[in-house]
Amino acid sequence: MRKKTAFFLFLFVFSFAVRSFGSDIDSRLTVLEETIKQQGKTIEEQQKVINGLKEELGPGKRDEAAKTGGKPQEEARPQEVTGFFGGSSMTNPNISLVLDTFYYSSNRKDAELVKSGIPGFTTVPPEQNNGFNLRAAELFLFSPVDPYFNLYSNLPVTEDGIELEEAYFVTTSLPEGLQVKGGKFKSNFSRLDAQHPHAWDFADIALPYRAFLGPEGLGGEKGVQVTYLPSLPVYTLLGAEALQGENDLLFGKDAQSGSHGFSFFIKSSFETTENSTFYFGPSVLFGKTRNTNILDGAEFSGKSALYGMEAVWKWKPSKQQGLILQSEYLSLTQNGNLTDAVTANVDSLKRRQDGFYAQGIYQLDRWRFGARYDMLELFADSFEQAGIQQNLGTKPWRVTGSVDYNPTEFSRIRFQYTRDRSARDDRANNEFFVQLIFGIGAHAAHAF
Amino acid sequence: MRVFFLALLMVSALAGQALAGLNVVATLPWVGSLAREIGKDKISVSILVKPSQDPHIVEAKPGMILAARKADLLMYNGLDLEIGYLPLIMESAKNPKILPGKPGNFDCSRFVKVLEKQTAVDRSMGDVHPLGNPHYHYSPSNILRVAEGMTAALSELDRADADFYRSNFQEFALKLKERQKEWHANQLQGKKFIAYHRLFEYLAFEFGFQITDYVEPKPGIPPSAGHIVTLMENIRRTKPDGLLTTEIYGMKESETLAAKTGIRVIVLPNDVGASGTTDWFDFMDKVLSSLK
Repeated sequence: MRKKTAFFLFLFVFSFAVRSFGSDIDSRLTVLEETIKQQGKTIEEQQKVINGLKEELGPGKRDEAAKTGGKPQEEARPQEVTGFFGGSSMTNPNISLVLDTFYYSSNRKDAELVKSGIPGFTTVPPEQNNGFNLRAAELFLFSPVDPYFNLYSNLPVTEDGIELEEAYFVTTSLPEGLQVKGGKFKSNFSRLDAQHPHAWDFADIALPYRAFLGPEGLGGEKGVQVTYLPSLPVYTLLGAEALQGENDLLFGKDAQSGSHGFSFFIKSSFETTENSTFYFGPSVLFGKTRNTNILDGAEFSGKSALYGMEAVWKWKPSKQQGLILQSEYLSLTQNGNLTDAVTANVDSLKRRQDGFYAQGIYQLDRWRFGARYDMLELFADSFEQAGIQQNLGTKPWRVTGSVDYNPTEFSRIRFQYTRDRSARDDRANNEFFVQLIFGIGAHAAHAF
Repeated sequence: MRVFFLALLMVSALAGQALAGLNVVATLPWVGSLAREIGKDKISVSILVKPSQDPHIVEAKPGMILAARKADLLMYNGLDLEIGYLPLIMESAKNPKILPGKPGNFDCSRFVKVLEKQTAVDRSMGDVHPLGNPHYHYSPSNILRVAEGMTAALSELDRADADFYRSNFQEFALKLKERQKEWHANQLQGKKFIAYHRLFEYLAFEFGFQITDYVEPKPGIPPSAGHIVTLMENIRRTKPDGLLTTEIYGMKESETLAAKTGIRVIVLPNDVGASGTTDWFDFMDKVLSSLK
């Protein structure tokens, strides 16, 4: 009520101000007209002077012998506007293909590897086999649809066929810092999920992701995302997503009819020094779960919530060197029932487990040196089956070192060594990767 | 929750009003410097790329996205020089005012007589710019036309100050004419240089000297030991008047060549702000005085 009164009072005062301003409008108009005429003349005169100057300054006017650097190929008239992604993509979208292939060697045989899950987290093994591997040839197509939407798609072609990993639109013309993304896309929950495998800093995903979401992270999910970037002094992006919830490990296709995965995230960033930037933010991904790959021979049905915190610090003093320090913490809360596949016996399952990784990448000219440490059950290791805490064994951890060489920004050769103790048994898995990544065509820029 | 959102809205409204006049975001330092010549105190300019950065390789930082979010007018070099980060900034900024085709999107290269426009290129030829050489900020005649284009763009968004912008432009044009006399007094015609990157083609064209060879075997590809050896032989044979490079890259290779062959290394500022230059005139003064 008080607000309304204040508003009317404001309107009243405002209308008065306008009215007093409008007195003897005629005489003012005459004066204005005069001024405008005068200004018009001045502009004409100025234009003459400018045209004269341009004539004098134009390189075409000087002696012909001076022309050595090349010929001007365009006239002085303004050229056409280039498109959103530069150049012209009216009839063809921008196309790029990224080949991601690697050689993998482990002290464990393939028969052991396919059985190596992370006890208490997942039964899903990593995807690589000993010998040569082809992760995918990822085909990217993107282009503006019209002045209101951009369209992106990512079609990884693997030996099993072509997948539709992503196909989504992004709005470009909503006002006030709002944007909507929809279709099938990689969630902006946490950090690694939104990155394509070829953009990862290591050959494989960090251990907490493998433990909570699977070897490829959450992957493309059907749904819709709304983000809002307020005009604040500090970069703060707010986002929310409604997802179908088809990730096998966190949700499961049949957990509920309809959309059953949701996320909220905040990303914030500020400059720490002239050459360094800090980027961080919390996020949460939650929903209904029904799957069979947490424990062998049992179906889980219940609710899950995965909380994440990401932090990245990038230092880039020159083209020749740079440093990226990155860490994420993920924490899962899960509540529900386990049904034994054979006996149909139903037990409760209550989990609260967490994990983190910390990594550093140092770049020197065309070389990059990386180190990473991953660990699960940092603060929380509760896994209660029928109300009884299970003894799962030693805490899973992993340590990785890598060197990559980048002839240009379109090619990368990576050597990686990983000592993996995530299987909770008494033998380490010593892994060695030689990875090759090549990109051709027009590829959209990667986010910070 | 509601209080939180209200507070957020209020802060964002305040933040939006804090800056007076047109909010111009320029990708490169020279673009910002030129905008300041025309807009003076009627505009506030923020520049995304630092003069110490290689404009070919820039990461779209969140701070740049935030600046673009608040922009009334985005000004950029064009010719796909910023292709690696500008599309991402434009999309992530969620600011429809600065999209291509809107008055708030100003591509400086539209007003440029482009050199080295390519018809058939692929990436085996290195980092070639298919739309033409984008480093036209060394070209006074092109800069004059860009400045005139900027004047029109500023006037369209801020009609009330159109005369102000126009008279600033005239002042700029007259100053340019004065300086051109000094710059051309250098007598660079017929001189032969070699260069690290294809940065100075407009400069050569406009001031009548030649660039006979490049330290980079292909644009963006650093030289191999073998290429350096060939270059040394060529330098000894043809005795060029100098090796043109910039502070941000190519210094190491250029100094090696100088030590081996005695060629004079001329370090030119790569953009406004490099080598202590304060504005575009200062930058060109430094370029031309270094070439003496």
